[in-house]
Amino acid sequence: MKKLSVLLVLLLLSTTLMFAQGGKEAAPAAAGPFKVGVIYITSPGDMGYSYMHDQGTKAAEAYFGDKIEVIRMENVPENDASARAMEQLIDAGAKIVFANSYNYQDYMLQVAKENPNVYFEHCSGYLSNENMSNYFGRMYQMRYLSGMIAAKMSTTGKLGYVGAFNTPEVVRGINAFALGARAVNPKATTTVVWTNTWYDPSLERQGAIALLDQGIDVIAQHQDTTEPAKAAIERGKYAIGYNADFRSVVGSDNVLVSPMWDWGNYMIPAIESAMNGTWKSQAYWGGLEDKMVHLSPISPLVPKDFQNVVMAKQAEIANGTWDVFWGPLKDNKGAVRQEAGGKMADDKMLTMDWFVEGVIGSVK
Amino acid sequence: MNQQTQQIPVVRMEHITKHFPGVLANDDVSLELYPGQVLALLGENGAGKSTLMNMLVGLYRPDSGSIYIRGELADIHSPQDSMALGVGMIHQEFMLVGNMTVAENIVLGMRELPFVPKIDQIRAKITELSKRYGLQVDPDAVIHDLSVGEQQRVEILKLVYRGADILILDEPTAVLTPGESRDLNKIIKKMLSEGKSAIFITHKMDEVIEFSHKVQVLRKGKTVNTCDTAGVTPQDLANMMVGRDILFSLDRCAYNPGGVKLKVDHVTVVNPLGSRPFLDDVSLEIHRGEIIGIAGVAGNGQTQLTEAITGLLHCTSGKIFIDGKDMTNSTPLQVIRAGVSHIPADRGANGVVGDMSVGDNLAMKKYRTSEISRGVVIKRSFLRAFADKLIEAFVIKTPDQDTCVKFLSGGNIQKTILAREIDSCGGVLIAVYPSRGLDVGATEAVRQNLILQRDKGNAVLLVSEELDELQMVADKIAVMFEGRIMGIRDVKETNTEELGMMMAGATGVRRNA
Amino acid sequence: MRIVVEKRDNKSKSAAVLIPLASFAISLILGAMVLLASRSNPLQAYSAMLNGAFGNARRFQYTIVESIPLLMCGLGVGVAFRLKFWNIGAEGQYVWGAIGITWVMQFWKFLPVPMLLPIGLLVGMTLGAVWAGVPGYLKAQWSVDETLTTLMLNYVAIGLAEYLYISAWKAPLGNMGTPEFPREAWLPPVWGKIHSGLYIALAFVVLLWFLLYKTRWGFELNMIGKNPRAARYQGVSIKRNIVLAMLLSGAICGLAGSMNTAAIAHRLTKGVDGGYGFTGIIIAWMAGLNPFASILVAIVMAALTTGADALQIAMKLPESMGEVLQGLVLIPLLAGSIFVEHKLKVIKKEAV
Repeated sequence: MKKLSVLLVLLLLSTTLMFAQGGKEAAPAAAGPFKVGVIYITSPGDMGYSYMHDQGTKAAEAYFGDKIEVIRMENVPENDASARAMEQLIDAGAKIVFANSYNYQDYMLQVAKENPNVYFEHCSGYLSNENMSNYFGRMYQMRYLSGMIAAKMSTTGKLGYVGAFNTPEVVRGINAFALGARAVNPKATTTVVWTNTWYDPSLERQGAIALLDQGIDVIAQHQDTTEPAKAAIERGKYAIGYNADFRSVVGSDNVLVSPMWDWGNYMIPAIESAMNGTWKSQAYWGGLEDKMVHLSPISPLVPKDFQNVVMAKQAEIANGTWDVFWGPLKDNKGAVRQEAGGKMADDKMLTMDWFVEGVIGSVK
Repeated sequence: MNQQTQQIPVVRMEHITKHFPGVLANDDVSLELYPGQVLALLGENGAGKSTLMNMLVGLYRPDSGSIYIRGELADIHSPQDSMALGVGMIHQEFMLVGNMTVAENIVLGMRELPFVPKIDQIRAKITELSKRYGLQVDPDAVIHDLSVGEQQRVEILKLVYRGADILILDEPTAVLTPGESRDLNKIIKKMLSEGKSAIFITHKMDEVIEFSHKVQVLRKGKTVNTCDTAGVTPQDLANMMVGRDILFSLDRCAYNPGGVKLKVDHVTVVNPLGSRPFLDDVSLEIHRGEIIGIAGVAGNGQTQLTEAITGLLHCTSGKIFIDGKDMTNSTPLQVIRAGVSHIPADRGANGVVGDMSVGDNLAMKKYRTSEISRGVVIKRSFLRAFADKLIEAFVIKTPDQDTCVKFLSGGNIQKTILAREIDSCGGVLIAVYPSRGLDVGATEAVRQNLILQRDKGNAVLLVSEELDELQMVADKIAVMFEGRIMGIRDVKETNTEELGMMMAGATGVRRNA
Repeated sequence: MRIVVEKRDNKSKSAAVLIPLASFAISLILGAMVLLASRSNPLQAYSAMLNGAFGNARRFQYTIVESIPLLMCGLGVGVAFRLKFWNIGAEGQYVWGAIGITWVMQFWKFLPVPMLLPIGLLVGMTLGAVWAGVPGYLKAQWSVDETLTTLMLNYVAIGLAEYLYISAWKAPLGNMGTPEFPREAWLPPVWGKIHSGLYIALAFVVLLWFLLYKTRWGFELNMIGKNPRAARYQGVSIKRNIVLAMLLSGAICGLAGSMNTAAIAHRLTKGVDGGYGFTGIIIAWMAGLNPFASILVAIVMAALTTGADALQIAMKLPESMGEVLQGLVLIPLLAGSIFVEHKLKVIKKEAV
């Protein structure tokens, strides 16, 4: 009971103290750098998804110099804490807020409606508002190219893919990879394991090992750590990176190639339009032609002439004459999912919950 | 006397003081033990006897004072240290491993034991020592097959084997039958003749006179008196222990039993972990206005009998009736509602909630009634008035009713239980070792209250290990041995000798008085 | 000279006041050392944290919102702790509450919309109670260790919730979440961010205080918690009360989950296992199982979380620094509680 009163006194004391402090902070600096708030699901130190976003943020910082000030918040959970984080960023003067994980979107929409003078940029979702855009990149295009390389280098024709969750984004990436592989080797198979986590070094490694034990000799991944790739390399097999250039991070040419993001190419124009008042709400899904995604340099182990084949395909995608999900397409149960002659509509890609022919595994 | 002063004492403790939180356990106590002698340490529970001895064997360290063994200053940090000096103690709870043999127990934990012990040598030495002192211990017997008396002899052998010549025995006869006590006395005498010496911790006066050469009486941590045993009477010792004369007789009405109140009919309770049952076909009747005493060495089924009656232990077969109503395997609450009060053994563990107040503890039966509660709500004002009434009526010494029970003395804790149980008593009062460890004043209060309940027409079941208590308080005495009732005797028609025989397992042959 | 820890003869009243105060001061100093080591001004950091937690009405609201589920879980586990029944399964019971209300909102279409919220809360409560009742029954009937069962059942509940929002109950659009609850069935706000769960939580504080301190049942729980053997001798059924206390404990934690889901996420989604159940254990402990004290402790714990955001914004410190400071506050407070019941005694060895 006494503890109680002590806590009470402490609390009152500290509240007064901090209200005094709050008063001092209340007047915002009228002129100063344009403030940009960024919310990450993990720590950028992870060399994964948030790291790539932070590379984009750093590109923006380099581009704008001292005209902007970036406030970062990392390891923000996907619940009410994210709404709180956004409001704290706005309190601190942020005029545009980026958030990089799917389940932030409900909270961002809610905060966006309450703060009409701030711009919101949500990555990987579908919700929007007059002052809230969503944006993402056509990573599947790079997945296709990496699938081509994987199939070329595989001796068994058996490829493996360590996937985080069965979300349309991940499923799309697996399908693109498998299609790329089949384009080179029509008998190639892609076996999927789910880890049900974006970030868990030991689970990711276990997933890769389970695949390698089945005689698979190339491991691709949609995960946030380098563990699946490392597990493959330790067995003398090949790996396909993701997010960062794993070949330089891991230090092995057995990493054949890494599909990579260029978030800066979206963030810089978004910030610029917010600064000069031309910002517009949009649902953005940029691809190779928008420089949202690219391939890392290809490992020297991949024959030079085949590298040229891949580059030719990349050019085809970039100039829009062809795209990955091009009919006819069947799922791995034999049902036709896309009629011949033409590319799949975006909304079908965005809700993809089936695997193409050549994928071993189940979406559920 | 003269002869003693010329010798060097084997143990000399000087000005020993030891504090425990809130208790001054030993206050400037000095002690001397001479070779070939038995010193009795007499005192009530909590007088500081065990504490003093625990310091001698290194279980506690004195706050101040010094210990000399054979004239040399000793620095004793552990029982191993004391053992190296030839000082060993037999505690009330034996420290034996039940599923190992005597020989294994004896060498267990010995420092100088080789990695692979030479069992034959050990066995030979045990047999030799056993013969020498008349211990009659088989080195290959497994401990849990032995009787309590035999286990005690194993403990003695353990100390002798390790070279102890100063033995400390803590209440050694508490668990023994009269016959076993006499055997123990013989063994000790034999050892003294070889120059060993012993200290007896006890609170029984007849034991002092029977066993010891000198007696040192402790009260509240201080030495009251030290004298030769020869020429001392029990009355003298009792006076020294409590500081006043004790009443040895109690007022009571004439024995005039009413109808049967509680009937135990061929009850058997199986012990799931042991070979023999806790209770083996036990039958017993208690009438209104009658005290039935249960005698027996602790651990022969007495507590199980009371637990079977009070619904705490499941009866395997047989029936229990209260007022003719079948109460077999009722819940404890149903038995309480049928008017049964219970003063359990081990009052601290079973009788009170130490961390709750005296008032709350007094209310632990009546809180269910309108005397304290309104519906499901406890009325604090009612509870306070109720508790104050009982504190006054039973003369419970406590600073106030909000004091935690654990801060009271043993006697006042027992008075608290007594007050609660007697107040809520609806016809049957069961008391298990109610005066164990209490000072004379509290003991008297407990006994007087039991008799008062009998005089009021209640049926009282008193379990005690002290025959003189039973002979003083009970109307009839039933003796239990190994879960069976060996016989039921009218107090006036039996004597200590016969009861002692029955306690040791002899079927009571009905003598014609 | 040596120093020994001794039990105090009686609980010291001044110690009960001074020790938490001193512990808090020690944690501030420890935190300051860590902050200095990372080249930050501790005073600025602390005032930034306070500012972040209480600095304006909005921040105050967020702190209170955060404290509501913490308080409920603290109250819930506190009921079981009174019996020395170590319910560390509050997290799982909380998740079941969230599952329960989602089940009602998503599938009980036969109910009129205004009934969805009250029925959903009740179903969440019931599922939480059942989830806690199982280890309670196992303990009462067969003495199965409750720390293990309650802990393991957490992961079963979290795993099930994941399966539901990823696959079985997934909304057609989007991923890792069930469809949003009908807007009319949300738990209504009372002041800004603060939702009416606040009233429910405070009602439970009063209810539990009454139940635990004023009723015969509370008296029985107290007896069992402090000496189960003696309680049994007094006719109190231990088994029955363990199961009852666990049902109540789980019901409160379950209600915390369904309340928070109906008020904030409005769907079962990633982030449902926010750790409220685990923090609730700390709250119950630090509040000495007292429902009223739990309010303040819950607010302090919530403020440590909400205030930590400010460290990143104002001090540009990494997020992990917030967790470090939270830990530094807890350890001396918990360690300090030992000295409310114990004291240090310095014994000077006499010259021999």
